[in-house]
Amino acid sequence: METQSEEQAVTKPADSGGEGGPPQVAGAQAVRPEDRMTLLLRLRAQTKQQLLEYKSMVDAHEEKTPEQIMQEKQIEAKIEELENEVEEAKTAFEIKKLALDRMQLSTALRKHLEKVDIKTSVLMNNMKQILNLNKLIMKSQQETWDLEEKLLDVRKKRLQLKQASERKLSEIQTEKNKQKDDLDSMENSDKIKTIQQKLETEIQITTVIQHVFQETLQISFLKRTSFWGVKSTGQRILPSRKLFCSLRRISQ
Amino acid sequence: MSVLRPLDRLPGLNTATILLVGTEDALLQQLADSMLKADCTSELKVHLARSLPLPCSVNRPRIDLIVFVVNLHSKHSLQSVEESLCHLDAAFFLGKVAFLATGAGRDSHCSIHRNTVVKLAHTYRSPLLFCDLEIEDFRAAMAQRLVRLLQICAGHVPGVSALNLLSLLRGSENPSPEDL
Repeated sequence: METQSEEQAVTKPADSGGEGGPPQVAGAQAVRPEDRMTLLLRLRAQTKQQLLEYKSMVDAHEEKTPEQIMQEKQIEAKIEELENEVEEAKTAFEIKKLALDRMQLSTALRKHLEKVDIKTSVLMNNMKQILNLNKLIMKSQQETWDLEEKLLDVRKKRLQLKQASERKLSEIQTEKNKQKDDLDSMENSDKIKTIQQKLETEIQITTVIQHVFQETLQISFLKRTSFWGVKSTGQRILPSRKLFCSLRRISQ
Repeated sequence: MSVLRPLDRLPGLNTATILLVGTEDALLQQLADSMLKADCTSELKVHLARSLPLPCSVNRPRIDLIVFVVNLHSKHSLQSVEESLCHLDAAFFLGKVAFLATGAGRDSHCSIHRNTVVKLAHTYRSPLLFCDLEIEDFRAAMAQRLVRLLQICAGHVPGVSALNLLSLLRGSENPSPEDL
């Protein structure tokens, strides 16, 4: 607490002579009345500015600052908010000042034009030159705008053509795929049918051959035993009737 | 008084006072001399101090601008500056405080990183100036700059206030603190 810091003060005498003059020893030289006037005016401007600063501080202090302890982040956010407000107020002020200046300038210009002879004024020449340049600018801007429009149209058409060709190609692709699928399914069904038919005929043929073998075996058995003793053609015909019927079926 | 307030005294006519706070006495003295040599239409008063709080016994004019000089070669200067900052009224930080970092030229001797000072300036929302006070030309240029700052903060420039200048100076600084 007892940190007694050293303090030194150095001063410089005021440059009361005038703008750009060499620094004079204070009070030694006689000061001209014009320099006194400029000094007074400068002091007046200074005092006005300082008064403005004090007033704004008083206004600022009227606003209550929150005394409660806020979190670090909240403080940061609040500070940024306030900074943004300051910036906005500044820009608004600058814009208003610009607008005011423009109005003042235009009235001064109008008054000047009313006073001065219109035909020979340098101002009028300048204004005519400005008007010509503006016309040229507008013309060339219009031309660029037209060219850009044309360019845009060409690009649009190109895009549309691309999209149309894309669509056509995809249609062709789908058609091709469909054809292939159809072909495959058709082939399959045909094949299956013929195969099925062939299978059926083969089965029939094999059954017939089976019966033939069975009959021949029976005949040979009967021949050997000769149980009936009588060689009658009627009995021989009996086992072969089945054979005859199945042969007929096959030939049909 | 333990806390320094910006507007507790009336300003002197055509007078502007600056307070340089830093641990490097030689550098401060040289900077003060350069400032006094600079062209200025107002009367300049330069006060030097090692740290705040200032002794109450001295009769002192209203202080318009405080510049904290931090030497990047010594951590002690940064520490003493940070301790001194507590003794300032909050109203000072509305444009009447500036930080000056010296010694950035010799990077090998720097014990404080540049970003530390940048963060410090960002926390207190005050402008940060870099200058090698040991080189005379840089010192003279910085002195000129400080004189202009001082004139604005003292209210000698009509139409520009300290707060206005602060937001003007802030525009170019803003990108870097976000990168930190």
